[in-house]
Amino acid sequence: MGNNVSKKDAFAKHLKGMLGGLRVTLRTMLKPAVTVQYPHEQEAPPTRARGVIALLEENCTVCMLCARQCPDWCIYIEGHKEKRPARREGGKDRTVSVLDRFDIDYALCMYCGICVEVCPFDALHWSPEFEYSESSIAHLLHDKDKLGEWEATVPVAEPLEIGAEVKGKK
Amino acid sequence: MPKFEVDPAVHRGLADARLNVEIDNGDMILNLGPQHPATHGTLRLVVRLDGERVVASDVVIGYMHRGYEKLTEYRTYPQITTLINRIDWLSSFANEVPFVHAAEQLMGIEAPPRAEYIRTALTELSRIATFLLFLGEMGLQVGAITPAFYGFRDREYVLNAIESATGGRFHPNFNRIGGLKDDLPWGWIAETRESMRKVLKSCDEFEDLVVSNPIFQKRTRGIGIIPAELGASYGVSGSNLRASGVDWDLRRDGKPYLVYNDLDWKVWTHSDGDSFARYWVRLQETRESARMVLQLLDVMPSGPVMTKVPKIIKVPEGEVWVNTENPLGEMGYYVISKGATGPFRVKIRTASLSNVSIAPWLLRGVYLPDIITVLASLYFILGDIDK
Repeated sequence: MGNNVSKKDAFAKHLKGMLGGLRVTLRTMLKPAVTVQYPHEQEAPPTRARGVIALLEENCTVCMLCARQCPDWCIYIEGHKEKRPARREGGKDRTVSVLDRFDIDYALCMYCGICVEVCPFDALHWSPEFEYSESSIAHLLHDKDKLGEWEATVPVAEPLEIGAEVKGKK
Repeated sequence: MPKFEVDPAVHRGLADARLNVEIDNGDMILNLGPQHPATHGTLRLVVRLDGERVVASDVVIGYMHRGYEKLTEYRTYPQITTLINRIDWLSSFANEVPFVHAAEQLMGIEAPPRAEYIRTALTELSRIATFLLFLGEMGLQVGAITPAFYGFRDREYVLNAIESATGGRFHPNFNRIGGLKDDLPWGWIAETRESMRKVLKSCDEFEDLVVSNPIFQKRTRGIGIIPAELGASYGVSGSNLRASGVDWDLRRDGKPYLVYNDLDWKVWTHSDGDSFARYWVRLQETRESARMVLQLLDVMPSGPVMTKVPKIIKVPEGEVWVNTENPLGEMGYYVISKGATGPFRVKIRTASLSNVSIAPWLLRGVYLPDIITVLASLYFILGDIDK
């Protein structure tokens, strides 16, 4: 008799646990889906997302800081110096550095953002664009023209949260 | 030398004989891994079975050794934070914090209060993300697939918050020596508050769906019990040790770091020490972390997020040991600096290596299907084991 009762209790306990779980799944079933049918629908990545690095070529002075600071050295830069006429009448000729090659190997890149941060002339920017997968790993080496194309996708910097220190002009 | 030739039939006979001996012995060697879905990476487990019971087991590690301790010797301090993100890839932000603290202590600087608050919030967010994956995936290991989907769904909310603040979903690289890379974006606090409410709600769901489920309880209760003293002697730390009833949390008991002392929170323990206790403790800790983030968002101080540091960071000579409570347990860095731009030597103490070292002891005598449950409840990350 006693055995019977405990069996009944165990059954009731099992049923209660099961029904509790089924209630959760039923509730979730009635909610709209949280998934997105990529690539037919797309979610916009956040503005800060580190998708791809864009290069603004005219700002680059071939200082090599980014190539040197890169943790796995995946930036390849070559450049040469050129003489340009002076800005003012009677001044000395200027020497400018001209960029010949600026390649980022996205097969190696760790997306840390150190190159963007160390650039003293604001030539590199992050863009949240992420759809540039290739069927061959060699095509992941983006040259300066391709990096320049990404520049159009760079978003405007978003405002900061309440309480953030606003950087004044120096 | 004459060629040694044996009739193929003899070979077959020998193979059969060996098999018979093994069967007669009653033991079977079973090789799990290194590519086994239940081991979250490349953990190899060699198990000796008597029938369905485990007689002995051996954990073979090192398939994913990436040599972080050596790599750090050839990198500068800012470069290292991006590397050590990848040690424990589920809670990468929590990996950065102890290292950055070590460098800051050697340099004698301190991050501004706002930076410390944001660091604490992001550390707790990464803890929630790690545990939500565990809460879901543990269900998967006992044969229930629904919790896994719920875990991944809820982790997305947290990862979205981390991504919109830091720019990186898994590898934030947001810590800088002396503060943070940037301040939070507009609207982040409100969004995170909303996702924390979702996390708290989903914790209740896990309670209904998994913890109170009789099948889950039967598969986990009383299995894989870690006695408190033995766990401590193996170096088990974090929630695994707290599930054995040891009231020890580095956030409260260790050297004060971040701003945990300013918060109102509780350390959860469970006296059983079995797989179920480990699940239960992590569920409570997820809740506690969500509450901590909500508190942090309310009292976030204003101000800068970066102190003045030189452009080229050179850390003065010295040695320092910084250990913190990571989602998986105690993680620490012993940094030796000789005054250069990079460290001379870094010793990394990762939680998973010690946590998994108790597995051979723990698996003795359990049934074959429970191996996966016990291993999953220990919750290790292979990158964290192999470094």
